[in-house]
Amino acid sequence: MADADKNYFDPKVLAGIANLSLRARWVVEGLMSGVHKSRAKGFSVEFEEHREYSPGDEIRRIDWKALGKFDRYFIKEYEDETNLRAYLLLDASASMNYASDGITKFDYACTLTASLAYLILKQQDAAGVVTFSDRIEAFVPPRAKRDYLTQILHALENRGPGGETNVGKILDDIAGQIKRRGLIVLVSDLLDEPAAILKGLRQFRFKGNDVIVFHLMDPAELNLPFDGNIQFEDLEATDLRVITDPRAIRATYQQVVNEFISDMRKQCHDNAIDYQLILTATPLDQALRSYLSWRG
Amino acid sequence: MSLFFLYPAFLLGLLAASLPILIHLLNRRRLQRIQFPAVRFILLSQKRISRSYRLRHWLLLALRTLAVVFLVLLLANPIFQTGAGLFAGGGPVSLVVLLDNSLSMTWSGDGNGFKQAKEAAGLLLSALNAGDRAALVPTSITGAQTIRLKGQKDVLLRELDAVEIADGTAHLTAALDKAYELLSEPAGQKEIRLITDMGLTGWDQFSIAALKRFDPSIPVKVIRISRKEQPLNASIKAIRLGGQGVGVNVPLHIEVTLASFTDQEIKDVLVQLSIGGQNKEQKLATLPPRGETSVSFQTRVSQPGAHSGQVSLKKDGLAGNGVADFTLDAQDKLKVLIVDGDPQTSLVQSDSFFLSRALHPAGEEGSSLFLPTVILADGLNSAALDAYQVVVLCNVATLPDAFVANLQNYLRGGGGLLVFGGDKIQTDNYNQKLAQLAPAELREKKTGPEASGEKIDKFDSAHPALQIFSDPILLESLKSSRVWGYTRANARGKSAVVSLANGDPLLVEQKIGDGKVIFVTTTADRDWTDLPLKTVYLPLIQSLTQYLAGGKRGQLDPGIAVDSVKEIALPPGLVGKSLRVAKPNKQDSEVPIVGAKDRAVAAIADNDRAGIYRLSFPAGAAKDSGAPQMYAVNRPFLESRLEEIGERELQTKLAPARAEVIPVEALKEGGKRTDLALPLLALLIVTLLLEGWLGQRF
Repeated sequence: MADADKNYFDPKVLAGIANLSLRARWVVEGLMSGVHKSRAKGFSVEFEEHREYSPGDEIRRIDWKALGKFDRYFIKEYEDETNLRAYLLLDASASMNYASDGITKFDYACTLTASLAYLILKQQDAAGVVTFSDRIEAFVPPRAKRDYLTQILHALENRGPGGETNVGKILDDIAGQIKRRGLIVLVSDLLDEPAAILKGLRQFRFKGNDVIVFHLMDPAELNLPFDGNIQFEDLEATDLRVITDPRAIRATYQQVVNEFISDMRKQCHDNAIDYQLILTATPLDQALRSYLSWRG
Repeated sequence: MSLFFLYPAFLLGLLAASLPILIHLLNRRRLQRIQFPAVRFILLSQKRISRSYRLRHWLLLALRTLAVVFLVLLLANPIFQTGAGLFAGGGPVSLVVLLDNSLSMTWSGDGNGFKQAKEAAGLLLSALNAGDRAALVPTSITGAQTIRLKGQKDVLLRELDAVEIADGTAHLTAALDKAYELLSEPAGQKEIRLITDMGLTGWDQFSIAALKRFDPSIPVKVIRISRKEQPLNASIKAIRLGGQGVGVNVPLHIEVTLASFTDQEIKDVLVQLSIGGQNKEQKLATLPPRGETSVSFQTRVSQPGAHSGQVSLKKDGLAGNGVADFTLDAQDKLKVLIVDGDPQTSLVQSDSFFLSRALHPAGEEGSSLFLPTVILADGLNSAALDAYQVVVLCNVATLPDAFVANLQNYLRGGGGLLVFGGDKIQTDNYNQKLAQLAPAELREKKTGPEASGEKIDKFDSAHPALQIFSDPILLESLKSSRVWGYTRANARGKSAVVSLANGDPLLVEQKIGDGKVIFVTTTADRDWTDLPLKTVYLPLIQSLTQYLAGGKRGQLDPGIAVDSVKEIALPPGLVGKSLRVAKPNKQDSEVPIVGAKDRAVAAIADNDRAGIYRLSFPAGAAKDSGAPQMYAVNRPFLESRLEEIGERELQTKLAPARAEVIPVEALKEGGKRTDLALPLLALLIVTLLLEGWLGQRF
């Protein structure tokens, strides 16, 4: 049973499942997580109680039947389960198309995004998806409909990774398009200027959004586990090449990468942004659990 | 101080030192390409470590190369030596000591160079340890000597004691050949030590390519005997005969050429001439810096036959060979009978006038090699031909029967007949009387005006009597002569010895037994030719007379250089017999006489000492065969030159053998040898450890 649980989230197992929808359901169902009820009051279909009208309340929410019965204005209040609007921002730049062993960062990110969308929709929250590279590739606005997952998955499956990363600019663009506050989930390898990324993320925070950053990395990006003289060619900037013996620079490389991660983590923390480093070798449930823990 | 290797063949392994660099270069060529998202981090890392990374990289490469070098050197086992001592350990030594005993060692090392050389050789031989073997090879070796490596020091030292200075040049090729032959046997450590003054003459004759055996792995150490100051240095370069030849009581002119090898003028050199052990004359000479000067002597010899002579130089502090021997073959006077067929009241107009003056120029008793007697044609019948070596007929009309009857025997006995033409000659009488003896049939006389005279055009340059024309002045004189009258002669198919421009013979020859007959178709006086007025006339007449007499003109033989071969030509009948040679040191040897074409030859090769070599001919050899009774052997002229070969030039000459020049003083100081194997092993280990540590950091 334990092995079966483990396999739910093993990226290598997931990589064998071609259907993204099935992959997302597989992950979320395997998570065995219960649905939370929102403590926030808002629009919903389930009536909870009446309260007396006070100036400022919307007139369309006045219960006219109660006025006739009690000759007083009452406002109908409902149990609100759909007040969360989640924007899942997926980095679809060429650098995401890398896998040292098994699943690519992009596949992993798609599975993660789909799983989150499924989970959000299952909790009757609204989920939308934005895929981007150096421009917005697809924009699926958040909806709370159960069958909305199909549209989200379609957006995810519609395009493979390509183009250069321009996370900072894209975040600016998206921030301009989002009118209501909600949850921003960024799934990216963050291979862009850290300052630009953080600037974009801060804009979400200024507008009252909650932000979660899933920083995706392949284990090879973290460790540089190569031997011999190698010419490294950049996946995005094809003219960017460097010849080196990885053994000679490995320690420094790891130091540089760790500094980058630490810096990101610190900057996110300082801006009340939830930051999660996810290695593509990591089972998917870890990422989902971190989301759920944030969701409460 | 020197560094050498016990097993130098391993040094070829140094080529392997290039392997790390080659691998490095190959690795650079075989790049693996990987597409990677985080190249920016790699770039950043490279920038951060660039300097230290490159330093470590090159350091690693250097350490790997060094490790190979150290390993190869370790296998080659280097030995560091200070001083010039022998091997101190490391197994038995096979040593060949080449001792330069060439003549120049007499003057090297400020006069005691050979003594120093022998002391140095003694030091080397005394330093031999048990198990070591050595051989002593003097550079005067000719190849015939039996020399072996031996371990008995006392025997070697006795051999050293017996080595004397030689009269010749160092035979470095033969000596080194012997050394390599001796060291061709397997041995632990082999070494050649050459103790020498580095005289240029010996090295000029040396070529490594001429060695029959060669082993470049055997080190050659040259122990140099040097001098502090350049001494006055001169020698006798040449001795030659001046004047007409060597005859009994005839003035004898000897010219001696002296050469200086120093940069300063050498004054007051006493030059002495002695003949037969008697001091004949002495003169003082001054030699210009690095130049030559001639000294002339005039003397006489009173006895015919072979004489030995000597020229010597005397001056305090003068280095270089100061003695040169020579031999003389003094000739008794040649008696010549001149028959004048057209005597005149005026001597000048007589046919014999120019001829007799040519044979006896000064007209004084004893001043010439020739003793001419002039008679008239009437006297021919009663003339005792055997009293004369040569009979000359000048324009004699007819030949008396009695004369012709004697002539055949006279010629077969070795006599010579010279016939000049002229208007009196009756050609039919000559053709009839001398049918069997004449070299040509005489025909009509051809005369013309003097102005239309024929040039003398061709001559047999190989003819012994015409060797005088190697002198361009005499040749020019001959060619400027004109002949306007002559008797045409049919040489019967033989080629004329001298011809006119129109092809008619001027001089024809016939050999009769041991004698010879020569016809000159023109006159002996000025009637038909201007030849008697020319410079060439006297030497031509003397040379023809000498030739017809069958003997050589009295000669001075300056001899040969030490170690040269002297060839003696002998009558063919002596083939198979032997010649006895008495050397200056009284040693006798027999030299076989062998056939060579139409003559017999004795080749005397054992000429290793300077001085007079005397020959004894086998019984039956004619005394007047022309062979010398003695000959001189002299020290090589250039061996007196005390210039040295440069160290670099010497090393080039011996390349690819490793040659090192050590002053003799360094040998006396001894020395120390250090085996560098252990320090190299330590270096190798340290290098490998460093390489391992640094390699792990990558």
